[in-house]
Amino acid sequence: MIETAVAYTLAIFILLAAVATALFRDVLSAIVVFGAYSLGMAILYTFLLAPDVAMTEAAIGAGVTTILLLLTIARTTRPSTDRLFERINVPAVIVVGAFVLVLGTLLPDMYAVGTESAPIWGEQGVLTETPSLYYIENTFSDTGAQNAVSAVLASYRGFDTFGEAVVVFAAAIAVLLVLKREVFT
Amino acid sequence: MSQPDSYTNSDTYSESQVILTSVRIIAPFTLTYGMFLSLHGADTPGGSFQGGAIIGVTVLMLAFAFGIDPTRKWVKSSFIAGLITGGVTIFIATGLFTMALGGNFLEYDAIADTFGIAHYWGMEAIEVGGVALIVAGAVMTLFFATAAGFTPERHGNDTDSARSGSGPEVGRDD
Repeated sequence: MIETAVAYTLAIFILLAAVATALFRDVLSAIVVFGAYSLGMAILYTFLLAPDVAMTEAAIGAGVTTILLLLTIARTTRPSTDRLFERINVPAVIVVGAFVLVLGTLLPDMYAVGTESAPIWGEQGVLTETPSLYYIENTFSDTGAQNAVSAVLASYRGFDTFGEAVVVFAAAIAVLLVLKREVFT
Repeated sequence: MSQPDSYTNSDTYSESQVILTSVRIIAPFTLTYGMFLSLHGADTPGGSFQGGAIIGVTVLMLAFAFGIDPTRKWVKSSFIAGLITGGVTIFIATGLFTMALGGNFLEYDAIADTFGIAHYWGMEAIEVGGVALIVAGAVMTLFFATAAGFTPERHGNDTDSARSGSGPEVGRDD
C-alpha cells in the first residue's frame, strides 16, 4: 500500500503545484513551480506504468519547456508590485470550479486502473478480443519488437507517426518564420 | 568533448564553477542515454522521440553552461537544419522505398520479402533515422531561435547589433 500512499501524495503535490502556477504573481516563480508540476506528473506516470509517457513529460515538459519559458521571460520586465500572489478573478474561479465539480462527480463512474471489471476484461477476468489484446499478443511475432508502444508507433501506426514527425518539423519552421530569423544569430 | 573556445569571454552565460563542472560531468551520460533510448527504443521503454529530446537537451545544457553564442557557433545552424530536414527525408524515403517495392507506405514487410531484412529494421530506420533526428533538431532550433540575440542584450554588448539588425528585435529597449 506504500505505492498508493506515494501516488496520492504525488497527486496532492501536483494539484498544489498547478494552483501555485496559476496564482504566483512573479512569472519566474510560476515557471519554476510549473517545472515541479511536470516532474510530479512524470513520476506519477511511472506509477501508472507508462514509462514512455513519463520520459516524454520529464524531457519535454520539465526540461525543454522550462528552458524556453525562462529564455522568453528574460526579455520581459518584472511586475513592479511586491505582491506574492495574483489577484483572484472571482467569475473565472466560479466557472473553473463548476467545471471541476462536474468532472469530479463523473470521476467515480470511471473504471479503476487495472481492475478486472473494466470493459477490456471479459466475464471471469479473461481477456476479450480488443485492439489492445491484439497488440499484446501479436506485436512480437508481427514486428520483432519487444516494446509494444514503439511497435504501435513505428509499425502499426507508422503513417500517423509520419504525420506527427512532419508536424514537429513544421513547428520548428513556423517558429523561425514568426521570429523572422533564418539563421540563429 | 571539445568545449567552445571563447567560453571565458563576455558572452558567457554562466561562470559558475558548479554549473560548468556538473555539466561537464553529466553531458556525456545524457548524450549516451539519449542515444541508447533512440537505438534501443523498440525493446525497452522509451523510444526515439524521448531519445531525440534528450540528445537535444544535452546541447541546451552545454549552451547554458558555456554560453549560448559559443555553443551556437560550435553546433552551426547548417548542422541543425541538416538534422531536421534529413530526418524528414529519411522518413519519407523509407516510406517511398516500401512503395517502390510494391507495398504500402511504410509497409516494412515489402523490404523483408525483397531483401530478407527483418520488419524490425524498417521500424528502426524511421525511429532512429527519422523521429530521433527530427526531434533533436527541433529542440535545438526552438532553443537557438528563442535565444537569438539573448546574450548581447543581456550584457549590453553592441558587437552583435549590426548582425541582428536584419530582423526586428523582440527584446526590451533598455
